[in-house]
Amino acid sequence: MDCRETQTLLTPFHDGELPAADRARVEEHLRGCPGCSALLADLARADRAAGVPDPGPAYWDRFNARVMDRVEREADGPRAAVLRPKGGWVRQQLRYLVPAAAAAALVAGIVHYGGMRPGAPTPTVPPAVSEPAAPGSAGERRTEAEPESRAAKKSEGTAVARRVPPPVPARERFAPVTREEPDRLADRSLSSGNVEASRDRAAALSAPSPPKTFRDTPAASPQVTAADGMTQGSQAERKKMERTAAPMAEPQGAGKTESASGIRVAKEASPGSPCERARALAEREQIREAEAAQRACLAGDLDAPSREKGLVFLAELLDRQERFADADAVIADVDRRFPQSRPLDLYRQQRPMVQKQPKAVPVTR
Amino acid sequence: MRTDLDGEKDERLAAQAAGGDRGAFDALVTRHRQAVYRLCWSATGNAADADDAAQETFVRVYRSLPSYDPARPFGPWLRKIAWNCGLTVRRDGNAGVPRAAGGDAPEGVDPAPGPEESAAGNEERRRVADAMAGLPAELRMVMVLRAVEGLSYGEIALTAGIPAGTVMSRLSRARKRLLAALGGGGS
Repeated sequence: MDCRETQTLLTPFHDGELPAADRARVEEHLRGCPGCSALLADLARADRAAGVPDPGPAYWDRFNARVMDRVEREADGPRAAVLRPKGGWVRQQLRYLVPAAAAAALVAGIVHYGGMRPGAPTPTVPPAVSEPAAPGSAGERRTEAEPESRAAKKSEGTAVARRVPPPVPARERFAPVTREEPDRLADRSLSSGNVEASRDRAAALSAPSPPKTFRDTPAASPQVTAADGMTQGSQAERKKMERTAAPMAEPQGAGKTESASGIRVAKEASPGSPCERARALAEREQIREAEAAQRACLAGDLDAPSREKGLVFLAELLDRQERFADADAVIADVDRRFPQSRPLDLYRQQRPMVQKQPKAVPVTR
Repeated sequence: MRTDLDGEKDERLAAQAAGGDRGAFDALVTRHRQAVYRLCWSATGNAADADDAAQETFVRVYRSLPSYDPARPFGPWLRKIAWNCGLTVRRDGNAGVPRAAGGDAPEGVDPAPGPEESAAGNEERRRVADAMAGLPAELRMVMVLRAVEGLSYGEIALTAGIPAGTVMSRLSRARKRLLAALGGGGS
């Protein structure tokens, strides 16, 4: 083996990725070649230089609590906070099932009321009314055009939090994190001396939460209603239900305001912003204009969760214009950028309905 | 709070976490947070964005746990999410995330250097930091996963979604650029 061939194999040799036969040949060459041996030493030197600045113990002390805080905020919307029982997965499932069951009961009530009572007016279907019913409202008479599954999904698909600005790194002193660092991927058989200490720090942190860290959830409310199709009475009824739910909800409501169309939006989204305009236009069935506004919204400054939801909303707007190929492209983009995207999962379930009835009320918020 | 989760396998912890066991999820976070942070740092190249992406990674993991199949290895699944979160934060250019002091993002500070540490040592560290930060994310990522995390080409390929041969060529380029930045070698 000559120097040229050896040098092409040095990288996999250094990384232990070379088959045994080639490895033996490279070793043999290195024994008699100081030049190639020096190159191999360089590879090791580069590896020693490859490090990541460690944020330090104070950062790790708060890390888990911050994750849990964010999980709480993002996984559970205000309405879910009212409904949820203890238990993670079950809690999440109930967020679908309870509003769906309530909505189903509501529809059953409408059918019964309209069909059995002599002289009762035939229930009419308004152009656009949808709202996941509050637990206590299941028996109340209401018109309901949107399938209950859609109403139920709505409460889930909107729970996305906005982040509070992280600070500027104060210093960028570099501390290479070497392979000896203990708390790496568990499969690696490495020193674990500090793992205990690290975990103890995390465990000791259970009480304090970092309220300053993350901002409130934008558009996280499931109480999304198309005002166009709602009577004064039903609007008042909706507000009453919201008031009932509010005290039990997380204090996230403090960060929200309500738009004229009944959509709850984060305070920081100004009423004239493209994002807000897109939703308002969609409510008015001006889908093409809504698409333009949504594209402008996506071209602006958005955090990752908002962008994820915004892209899904764009896909829906495209579907509503029967531009299914364009929507497919957007969905593929969401898939690529946001693996396991919950809003996308939800929309996929709704999509056949949207494609069948492109004029219906938007399901994505 | 927890008793002894050290011996637990990730997959089992993930299954428990999917069932609502917050302690198991906490253990998963603790076991992987530093590796996730490093991977996110390699995608973003700075501490504040790495923090953002690392937090987002675990939120996504939590949300996705019900659909996670414990028969599949947890590590690659987690790394894939972390890398994508890192790229997303980078691609977004941290839009809407203004930089302000007073939060919880890391300051890029390791335990304070001891008095024995010389100015020359600090200078060397700064040069190393600059060299790493100056690499393109794709090269930084393979360097971190290989040289810091000790992953195989196959594991890195799985995370990055590239062929193993590309991992090797990127490693080679990354090392050359690092050596060039550090002075000497890498020619």
